[in-house]
Amino acid sequence: MLKTRIIKKRRELTVDVSVELAQGNSVGLFGASGAGKSTVLACIAGIEEPDDGYVEVKNLRFFPPSLPLYMRPIGYLTQEPGLFPHLSVSENISFGIPKNQRSRKEHVDWIMTLRDRLQLAPLWNAPAALISGGQARRVSLARMLARRPSLVLLDEPFAGLDRRLVRELIDDLVFWSRSVGFSMIAVDHQAEVLKRLCPQQAIVLEQGRTVQQGTWEELSRTPATPLLASLLAPL
Amino acid sequence: MIVSRKWMARSGAALFAVALLYPFTALFAHIGPWQWDSEVRGPVLSSIRVSLSLTGLAMAIIVAVGTPVAAYIVHCRPRERLLWQAMLLIPILLPPLALGILMTLAFGPYGAIGSALERYGIAMTNSATAFVVTQIYVGMGYYVLGAVAALDAVPVMLQKQAALLGLTPMRVFLRVTLPLAKLGLAVSLSIAWVRAIGEFGAVVVTAYYPSGMPVQLWVNLQSFGLPAVMPLLVVFLAVALPLPWLIHVLAQRQRHA
Repeated sequence: MLKTRIIKKRRELTVDVSVELAQGNSVGLFGASGAGKSTVLACIAGIEEPDDGYVEVKNLRFFPPSLPLYMRPIGYLTQEPGLFPHLSVSENISFGIPKNQRSRKEHVDWIMTLRDRLQLAPLWNAPAALISGGQARRVSLARMLARRPSLVLLDEPFAGLDRRLVRELIDDLVFWSRSVGFSMIAVDHQAEVLKRLCPQQAIVLEQGRTVQQGTWEELSRTPATPLLASLLAPL
Repeated sequence: MIVSRKWMARSGAALFAVALLYPFTALFAHIGPWQWDSEVRGPVLSSIRVSLSLTGLAMAIIVAVGTPVAAYIVHCRPRERLLWQAMLLIPILLPPLALGILMTLAFGPYGAIGSALERYGIAMTNSATAFVVTQIYVGMGYYVLGAVAALDAVPVMLQKQAALLGLTPMRVFLRVTLPLAKLGLAVSLSIAWVRAIGEFGAVVVTAYYPSGMPVQLWVNLQSFGLPAVMPLLVVFLAVALPLPWLIHVLAQRQRHA
């Protein structure tokens, strides 16, 4: 489904990471701050351009040459919800759906399902600029899912939220990944978040390189580096 | 202590306002009765029509051409952007009279473009076309420089998010960039409007006819003296001020929404 090798020079390090992911699977990119996790996601999404390497999603070549952002069938969530402040919550959620498709029954049903599952009904007509941070994360999640992407990229989308909300959002994402069938790459520096979101496997990055790849159990049992051992150790 | 500081700040602001508006006290100067007979009224009303309609047309062209140019400049590399900014500053920096002389030489009957257009019956001096073209040259720099700042203030990440949601660059511009920058664009337009409608130095050289309000002020002063200038001054403020004022009112409302 996804085959990529990202090479990107940073001021202090060169990121060189390969990821392969089958349809419907998920992988967590784990590591300390500054290890290059977000760079990998930004390069797959097209927010940044790799210096070298390749990105292929479902036989569609994202890079090289760089495929325009609007042609990439992906969802990308970051710490910033990135809602459009001049639009209402419902307009934000329908934003990515072409106007001629919005009135189709299947789309209307899908949007209503997202609205109910993510408890957005009370906010539906509120201006996006006036909702709370937690609500904004829910709206951006709904907006991303509205397009039914085949690949979802999550760059610490739960940072700064309380544990209860994080748990709810993770459960929602896992639920949707199964029902929609999208693949998922998540980045976080908190192992417990990634374990819950991507329970199958993780890739550990240090200084822009992969130092270990495997199940969470393998990582805990035989961590490849002292840094990884300390990151996985309980507080 | 806090009260006295507040009082001092208010007094300072009031003093500034008095100094700023002081020249307008001359409207009440003893210059005799204001002249508003048919000899003055006709040309004055005609100059209002000329100024409002032709400046309005010039602004429409400035927005239609200047907005895409500003969008292009926003995406330029820093070095190219500096070049563009220098280019836009030139007509702003030039004394208006000098700009008018240059435009007459370049677009007049002895210039390549002017003589070519004249063959098709388009006069580039003392005509409505000359008036509009001059207004465009006078206002374009103000609008584009302001528009670049307004478009630049729209977060890049929001535009990229919109693209990742499947919108082509043109749709991103129309549905995200433009709505979020519209206030800045409107303020830039109001500055261009104020600059163009009050333009005298360049217009008096390129388009003495048809006379707009600033040229008519000069004509009235020369022909009838101060009593014929004052009514036009009041009319000028009444018709030129509402547009930029309205934009600032809207800006204030949006800020407090």
